[in-house]
Amino acid sequence: MNDELKQEQIARINIYALLSRLTMSEVDEGLLKSIEEDENMLSFFPSYAKWKKRDEYDRKHLIEQYLNVDFTNLFLLHLIPYESFYTREDQMMETGGDNPVQAIFNAFEFRVELDKARVMAADHIGIELEFMYELCKAELKALEDGDLEMAKQLAQLQYGFMRDHIVEWMPMYLINVKNESGTAFYFDLADFVLEFIMSDFQYLSDLKDKEYKYIV
Amino acid sequence: MYLQSRRTFLKGAAFTVAGAAIANGVFATDSVAESVSDSKFTNTPDTISFYPDIKEWDSFKELDGTDWKRGGINRHGVRSESNPDGIQVNDYTIVPTVCSNCEAGCGLTAWVNKNEFEKGILTVRKYMGNPLHTGSRGRNCAKGYAVTSQMYDPDRIPFPIKRAPGSKRGEGKWVRVTWDDAMEVIGKKMHDTLAKGDEVSKKQIMYHVGRPNENGFGPRVPQSLGIDGYNSHTNICSAGAREGTIQWANDDRNSPDWANANLIFLQSSHAADAGHYFQQSAGLIAEARKRGSKMVVIDPRMSNSAGIADLWIPAWPGTEAALYLYLANRILNENKKDGSAIVDHKYVKEWLNWDRLMANKDYLKKMIGYGYISKMPKDDSYESFIELAKELYSPYTKEFVVKECKLEGMEYKLDELWELFVPAGAKIASYLWRAGAIGHRGGWMNTRAGFLPLALVGAMRGDIGGVGMHHWHEISVAGKGDKATVAGKHPSKTDAWNEIAWPPEYPISTYEMGFMMPQMMMDDEWHNKWTEKGLKIPKSIAVYVPRMHNPLWINPDGFRWMEALKREDKFELTFNLSPTWSETNWYCDYVLPVGLAGERNDQQSTPSKPEQRIEFRQAVLRVAAEKSGWKAKDPTRATLEAHMKYGLGEVWEESEFWPNLIFHHVDKDGKLGIRDYWASKKDPSRCVSVPEYFDAALSLLPRLKAAATSDSRYKNEEYPVYSYIRDHGAWTEKTNVYKPQEEELEFDGTHYIAHGHKHHKDEVRKDEFGALWVKDGELEKSIGIDVDGKLHEGFHTLSKKLEFFSEWLTEWKWPEYAVPIYPRNDAENDKMVELVTQVHHKYMKADNEFALNTIYRLPYNIHTRSVNSKHLMEISQNHNPVWIYTKDAEKLGIKRGDAIKVQIEDTLSGIKSGYFIAMAVPTEATRPGVLACSHHAGRWKLQNSVDIPGFEHSLGIMSLGSPKVSMTNDGKVGTMTTTEGIKPHKAWQFKEYNRDLDDIWWNGLSGAWQNAVAPVHPDPVAGNHGWHQKVIISKAGANDKIGDIHVNYENNFKVYKAWQALARPLTVGDQWRRPYHIKRPVKPSQKAYKVEIKDV
Repeated sequence: MNDELKQEQIARINIYALLSRLTMSEVDEGLLKSIEEDENMLSFFPSYAKWKKRDEYDRKHLIEQYLNVDFTNLFLLHLIPYESFYTREDQMMETGGDNPVQAIFNAFEFRVELDKARVMAADHIGIELEFMYELCKAELKALEDGDLEMAKQLAQLQYGFMRDHIVEWMPMYLINVKNESGTAFYFDLADFVLEFIMSDFQYLSDLKDKEYKYIV
Repeated sequence: MYLQSRRTFLKGAAFTVAGAAIANGVFATDSVAESVSDSKFTNTPDTISFYPDIKEWDSFKELDGTDWKRGGINRHGVRSESNPDGIQVNDYTIVPTVCSNCEAGCGLTAWVNKNEFEKGILTVRKYMGNPLHTGSRGRNCAKGYAVTSQMYDPDRIPFPIKRAPGSKRGEGKWVRVTWDDAMEVIGKKMHDTLAKGDEVSKKQIMYHVGRPNENGFGPRVPQSLGIDGYNSHTNICSAGAREGTIQWANDDRNSPDWANANLIFLQSSHAADAGHYFQQSAGLIAEARKRGSKMVVIDPRMSNSAGIADLWIPAWPGTEAALYLYLANRILNENKKDGSAIVDHKYVKEWLNWDRLMANKDYLKKMIGYGYISKMPKDDSYESFIELAKELYSPYTKEFVVKECKLEGMEYKLDELWELFVPAGAKIASYLWRAGAIGHRGGWMNTRAGFLPLALVGAMRGDIGGVGMHHWHEISVAGKGDKATVAGKHPSKTDAWNEIAWPPEYPISTYEMGFMMPQMMMDDEWHNKWTEKGLKIPKSIAVYVPRMHNPLWINPDGFRWMEALKREDKFELTFNLSPTWSETNWYCDYVLPVGLAGERNDQQSTPSKPEQRIEFRQAVLRVAAEKSGWKAKDPTRATLEAHMKYGLGEVWEESEFWPNLIFHHVDKDGKLGIRDYWASKKDPSRCVSVPEYFDAALSLLPRLKAAATSDSRYKNEEYPVYSYIRDHGAWTEKTNVYKPQEEELEFDGTHYIAHGHKHHKDEVRKDEFGALWVKDGELEKSIGIDVDGKLHEGFHTLSKKLEFFSEWLTEWKWPEYAVPIYPRNDAENDKMVELVTQVHHKYMKADNEFALNTIYRLPYNIHTRSVNSKHLMEISQNHNPVWIYTKDAEKLGIKRGDAIKVQIEDTLSGIKSGYFIAMAVPTEATRPGVLACSHHAGRWKLQNSVDIPGFEHSLGIMSLGSPKVSMTNDGKVGTMTTTEGIKPHKAWQFKEYNRDLDDIWWNGLSGAWQNAVAPVHPDPVAGNHGWHQKVIISKAGANDKIGDIHVNYENNFKVYKAWQALARPLTVGDQWRRPYHIKRPVKPSQKAYKVEIKDV
């Protein structure tokens, strides 16, 4: 496969991994260090890069006193990072087997460990983003193996999942996160996710328009 | 940043840390180890069936809840020998029982896991609702679901303990004893007391019951002992409402038909968001509202109910009667928009006892003397009565109510009330309980007056959507298992009258004056006075038995309780039948651990709708074990044996304890004549067992008996009725119970048949008002009523009608209050002191003087029964500050979170009691001038744990819900301050249920033990404790801490005496202790009722 396609896929994999990780659980010192020390990563957190509190406190203090508090507010208590909350008329979370996202995971034999994820249902933002990460990984492997049909199916799946799920609700939630965030870090993260999913949906749409003719 | 170029994101490829190292990796793709196609389990059920069919209750298999989090069976499969990592399947026996946390008695099911039954392990994994209970309908409130955490509370008392020999009460030194050791000592003491056989000894054993949650077993105990020794918590909880209802209908309380009402008319938050039959009533109220019913809440506090009501009227607490009589005035004097009368004249004419008032010329003259009416009615006709009533209530104008209830600026609310009230017609459902009725001197009149507008519009007829009466819908057979005993009959009534429970100052109290027992016990002056007048009052209680009761903490003037309970000359032997640690336990000689909701055997009946239903609380481990083949060695101790075998500890319960205690220890040779009432008819060598006793008791319900004995599952069982209720947990004997007073009185030409008794016509006298009378000892009782030529059963009053005019009240020294009335001007307000609340706004002179509203319930707490629940303690943290109206707070410079000193002052005597320190929260949700702070918080303990000699673990004390305090008391002044917050005790028992003890984040409720500061306020008529207080607030000092209390309980005693002086006690010439016809728990004989007061 050509390098540009490979780079694209690796970028998608890495970004989905990072975004799913940060939207699913609190950032830890190691990851924060990685972000701060990697100019590419840090470039996605422009406000945080300039945040004055970073000069005042060490990472541990920053996490415990600010970032975790904000995370709790944005992901656990105040806002509801679940698709069903945004898509059901009654704004109830669907935590059972009728959750449409759970049904997709089941259909493709992806089993999400809700306890490990510490989430209530499979349609949590972090889970959906990690699902995209898994699909991107699989797509890359298919491309590397030269199995273009499989890669196509995986890309179709990604497109369909984004169209029917991620794009349907995540922007609404992320705009709420931007409004409610109390730290530069989570403000930037919301912006990052929002920008990226829109961009990636455009990418997948283009690929679909090209009838999945990869330039390998 | 909209929109970044796609190229920007390509930077992602250059991350120094690869995605694989960052992602959480919550997706697993390992395949299912085992096909689940053969299993009944699925991750995607078509429906969520909350309750399995009863056919499956003996063995219902369900996937383990914890393992669902691992992704369900699709990933792991079902656990089996070949698939050890699969999801565990639990095999449950689902045993129905009844919640015991409040009086509502909602149905529960205990899900008893019997996976390891063969290894001798049985555990209750969860408590759910019981769908067969037609009141709670499968639902529970937070307290119901908390039962698991209570059952497996790490601080559960594991065995009987006794005050260590040589130590004093309150020292906290305990030793372990067996139930048999304890019963031997207690039984001997009871035997020796009863063996004296004199009048006083029949008053020296006192069974003091907290919220009973059962219908009759408890009262049978003292009755079988031949004593007048039943005492209860009832008075502090509801005496005012009971008094008002008894005067109208001689019934305990009303029983509304919420679901079919057009208007839900509530005084306080009771029923809709807390309090009596709350969860069941709330569901029915919600259904009514969904149908379009309106809701009015009269409450100084914006409760949850008030918040969602169509109309909230924050009347000044204790003045509600004025509002109700205003409604009566308008109902009498106005018409509907179509010109028709608002009064239901046909109903009022037939079913209110106006005729007796009109015939009583002496009383009518008195009414003129009181200024109630200006002239004698022109005749005895109904029309003249209506004219009289119109005049009587005409002073209760809108202007008057606005001033009296302090509703200035809220006049429009009265108009809105009228607009809601009139269109509702007779379909108004109400509960005039708590708050207005119990918080105040004269609170009973709030209920008495409140029923008047309802009676006038016909809502008190008890028809669909209206207000029925409590006992129409209640079934009490738990005391009637007589047929299972050797005696084969009910114990006879005692000839003794216990003045400690029923003091001569309060002949019409409702009911036992248990809340001021210590004051009476330690009041030598009172004791001597009545002894000289000829009463035989015991100087000590030989055996004092609280039962699931914490009187020291729950009652006012707690330090007096403490002093009294420490006095071994006053309380010779004390033991608390208590499931949990409590403040009272600390001062008892024995603490005998008894069961909670799923560990007891009780018949209960809760009238939450117009039906007759029973529920059966039972020891679920015993039942589950018996269903799996286990058999107790001693059938009379099966519950205790089951609890010991299956790891709950030496936890017993009363329906096995009392028969054993009495049979083997109190009257072991039968010479006292008590034993036969508890000896088993089946096997007279032992006492009755639970199946025997309750089968006999429940067989008294004809429909239940017919159902059980014709059911193929039960008809061949030895105890078919017991077996039926064991499996179902609830039974609805009759539905649609409306207006039974209008049922025809049976007359076969020779006999009248009333309530199962035949009366020959020659023995029946009909009076001029149509009431039928028969002899009842030295007295007469009425058995029916002729209304327009038809015989009816009638209400339970003497007149057999609703008593607008309480004729007997005139004879019992309160003639001026024999009709619904409320002071109409300042002069009357001063004169009719018995009807004026001690927190009336006239007593509030300065900006920092307030009425303190103390008695609203928190929906997730229940007085003294929730401190053992981790779950309830967690959700109730910091929910009990002092609510203060924002503008009042502003004026005093009080901000949210400020500690304030709340000083209690008695408005009758002017005496100050002391203060408590609490956290202020300014809010719009309480009315100006009225503070709110529920008295449900403020638990305390002196030690975190106790060590029991010879037992390897120390026992934690209320470690999840009570802070530790230091206390001083010198006989006059008591103080308390918190020294340490919540410190979970190590879980040496029930570890599996308490793995989260490290996560206890809370530090104790923010409330103070305000009950200790409150002096005793006995209402001179109903005898209720007026809970509300006048308080003077200020910012707390530098050394004051939230939770601190400081009480001068010597002053409190003076307040008690001042209030006692308002009463109108028995005097020379009085022949009866109490009106014989009105309700009294465990009614003694007429001989006991008779009295002679000496002139000294």
